[in-house]
Amino acid sequence: MRHLLCAAALVVLASTAGAAGPQLTLAQRTATHAMFEHLVNTPTVIGRHNVPQMAQYLADQFKAAGFPAADIHVIPYHTGSATQGQDDTAALIVRWRAAGTPAAKPILLMGHMDVVEAKAEDWSVDPFKMIEKDGYYYGRGTIDMKDGITGITQAMINLKAAGFRPKRDIVVLFTGDEETNGIGAKNGAGEWLNLLGHPEYGLNADGGGGGFDVSGAPAGFSMQTAEKTYADYTFTVHNRGGHSSKPRKDNAIYSLAHALDKLEAYRFQPMMNETTRAYFEGRQKTEKGPLGDAMRRWLANPKDGEAADFIEASDSEVGLTRTRCVATRLFGGHANNALPQLAWARINCRIFPGIDPNAVKTELERIVNDPTVVITREDDNVASLASPLRPDVTGAYTRAVQTLHPGMPVFPEMSTGASDARPFRVAGIPVYGVNGAWVQVPTDFRAHGRDERIPIQSLYDNVVHWQLMLTDLAGK
Amino acid sequence: MKAVLAFVLAAAVSASALAATDPRTVPTQLSPEWQAKTRAVFKQAIEIPTVHNRGEMPKMAKLLADQFRTAGIPDSDIHFMPYEALPGDNTEALIVRWRSPHATKKPMLILGHMDVVEAKREDWKYDPFVFREEGGYFYGRGTSDMKNGDVATTMAAVKLMSEGFKPDRDIIFFYSGDEETRGVGATLGASKWRNLTDAEFGLNADGGGASYDRNFRPLGFGISMAEKTFQTYFLTTHNPGGHSSRPRPDNAIYDLADVLEKLRAYRFQPMQNEITRGYFEERARQEGNSPLGQAMRRWLANPNDGAAADIVEASPVDVGLTRTRCVATMLKGGHADNALPQSATATVNCRIFPGVDPKTVQAQLQKLAGPKVEVTPDPEFIGVPTPASPPRADIINAVKAASLRFHGPDMHVFPVMSTGASDGSFFRAQGIPVYDVDGSWGISPDDERAHGLDERIPVRAMYDDVLHWEMIIKALAG
Repeated sequence: MRHLLCAAALVVLASTAGAAGPQLTLAQRTATHAMFEHLVNTPTVIGRHNVPQMAQYLADQFKAAGFPAADIHVIPYHTGSATQGQDDTAALIVRWRAAGTPAAKPILLMGHMDVVEAKAEDWSVDPFKMIEKDGYYYGRGTIDMKDGITGITQAMINLKAAGFRPKRDIVVLFTGDEETNGIGAKNGAGEWLNLLGHPEYGLNADGGGGGFDVSGAPAGFSMQTAEKTYADYTFTVHNRGGHSSKPRKDNAIYSLAHALDKLEAYRFQPMMNETTRAYFEGRQKTEKGPLGDAMRRWLANPKDGEAADFIEASDSEVGLTRTRCVATRLFGGHANNALPQLAWARINCRIFPGIDPNAVKTELERIVNDPTVVITREDDNVASLASPLRPDVTGAYTRAVQTLHPGMPVFPEMSTGASDARPFRVAGIPVYGVNGAWVQVPTDFRAHGRDERIPIQSLYDNVVHWQLMLTDLAGK
Repeated sequence: MKAVLAFVLAAAVSASALAATDPRTVPTQLSPEWQAKTRAVFKQAIEIPTVHNRGEMPKMAKLLADQFRTAGIPDSDIHFMPYEALPGDNTEALIVRWRSPHATKKPMLILGHMDVVEAKREDWKYDPFVFREEGGYFYGRGTSDMKNGDVATTMAAVKLMSEGFKPDRDIIFFYSGDEETRGVGATLGASKWRNLTDAEFGLNADGGGASYDRNFRPLGFGISMAEKTFQTYFLTTHNPGGHSSRPRPDNAIYDLADVLEKLRAYRFQPMQNEITRGYFEERARQEGNSPLGQAMRRWLANPNDGAAADIVEASPVDVGLTRTRCVATMLKGGHADNALPQSATATVNCRIFPGVDPKTVQAQLQKLAGPKVEVTPDPEFIGVPTPASPPRADIINAVKAASLRFHGPDMHVFPVMSTGASDGSFFRAQGIPVYDVDGSWGISPDDERAHGLDERIPVRAMYDDVLHWEMIIKALAG
């Protein structure tokens, strides 16, 4: 799931827009275009069994570029869950070994090959036949995230051809079910860790990136360093029920409604971590109005809950100041003319990094404060951790971004969603979302939506971006 | 749906409870032979899951029809009437005519319904569609609403036929197949099929009955002669929705929860009519000098005494009898765990006091809910207000005689207004007065489980009901 820069970062003042940095050669552009078109035209939606062939295609491209077959692994695996569907999918692992003794543990490059479903009847064009129109490439996966798969792969191929010799191993892990069950990432952070060489940190192409606003002014690039923990809870109320002509004093639906009203009014304790502090420090520089004042007050005094509440209430910053829980689904009763015996509500929480989902359950129980409302967890997700801001990664990302886009502001970012990065962060391997593609915001925010697209130049810039990143981080 | 006659424990709290006999332990007067026959048919009836959309109604209709046929009713007087109830629910009604060889009066109609409310295995202690006898009770969905009445009316007729009884008027048995959902069967029965059903009056087995409190003291036998209008409304909220990681200030589920909080506290204007006054006069007598009894007397003396009416309405026994009531029965909202809801709907079931227009109730709900909420009546069932049936001495006397036999002189018989809407409403609306006079009974409130969990009926109540109907038929058609 793609985490694009929040629209808030738009308010950055205009400086010189456009791409002025290094460019691919014509031959490299042609190869990039061919690979991208092949990938977009392969519908890697869950249930369609196409991920293995996409993994094999990429493996063949690596082999053709001279990477040894022994270091290229297509690993088939099964993904499935009751709610997200089933598939026989695959992961691709490619290890580019360091020349000589590695200077440090490997760098992991991450991405996912699967895409969200897209229906031809919903789109204005065929989502699985890439086309070029109005300066864009259109198709499912063009920004989530076959752009990143292409960027990493082409960058490695180009660097290899240019004779680049990494000083540490570079290991690629492309998974096949990030949009659904995330089994590939779990395996990556578990049973495949040996194959991945126990990397020091991960660079995820499914995060980061940046944009220009409609006037062409730079809106900023973000580097994803933390993500909230996704967890679902259920409020359940049982009742004896009975005949609806004789309403009882207690009623499962009313008890649930009362609990939901309490949840609606409740706000969790505001919190700040290194990532969000750096984010708000960056944001407040250009945010002049009352929102900027609130950011400045909160940064000066993290106990200023009122300032945090003000920030949280803004459309652009919602979800960034604390844990949030919201009711997403409701169910109750069994017949129009019977008092409900059961009512439940699903509560979706995005938990601030580092907070245990079990502690949130306890807090929900305290908020509701009604023993007839039973609160249960729907998953066993563990607390996601923020990745520490590393000067080497932050520096490399900033340099790569600003080489291609001079003057472009760069922010760290905490994502409110969930991605393949989570199991690695939980396993102690920090992960940074550092893709280099850019879009026009908010016009091009179409991940998971209809008519997904990427600016043509952005696709090619992203290859250069990954070349710059890898040279910087694995070349010294 | 069963018009349950619920009665007090309030009085039971007071003074020295008499050492009354547990009515469940009194032997039934039905002979062992007819107990066995009744039990066999009742077991089969309970084990046919006649929930809407399951397509089981023809089996149930055949089960009852087979009893009549075996007893001598010719096939030409047994009519299977297939029809569609809810869209796609192909159900069936059964109409049986027991002809009088020398009819001297207009026919009488005996009403029941064969369908039951949904019951889920996981909610119940035992399988709701497996018949079970335990601790002096029969358990299963439909044991009290109302396969008991279907079986009692059928077996009473079969027994009378076997004994050579000849009615002096035609008796028409009408069993519908969608009373719990749409009432299409009763609508057709009262109109399109009127040539088969036309009668002077109807006796409905889906209501009436006696009850005892937990100390086994008789609480009364109510004959339902009026009923509230049944109307379901949908309260729906809409929202643009969005990604759940970024909650909006407004939320369809929370907006709906706000309305439900208001609805929980809301009370409609208290009202009385001839039937409910008769009922509360009897109830006030039962309640004696208790605070509830005093409130009833105050309210009877001054129908504008809203505070007294509120006390009465708050009594679990009398709930629903002082005014229109609306209650939330179902909820639905959202489409994915990780998306903000785009809509949420509460089903609100109303039982509207006779004489009040359902449109007025809709307007009141709309006012309560506010402009953000859409309030619409359930298009599947548009309630039609119906007149009360005039009290008839012959029917009341027949019930009194039966009640005296099974429950003794302390069981008072009196009129009630049903809070449920039964098939009777469709016939009342078309000019056939209907009286709910079933003879089964239970312990209040423990046995009031119609539509709820672990539905049951005392074993003796089932068996005595066969004899009860035998007496009613003899008295009114003999």
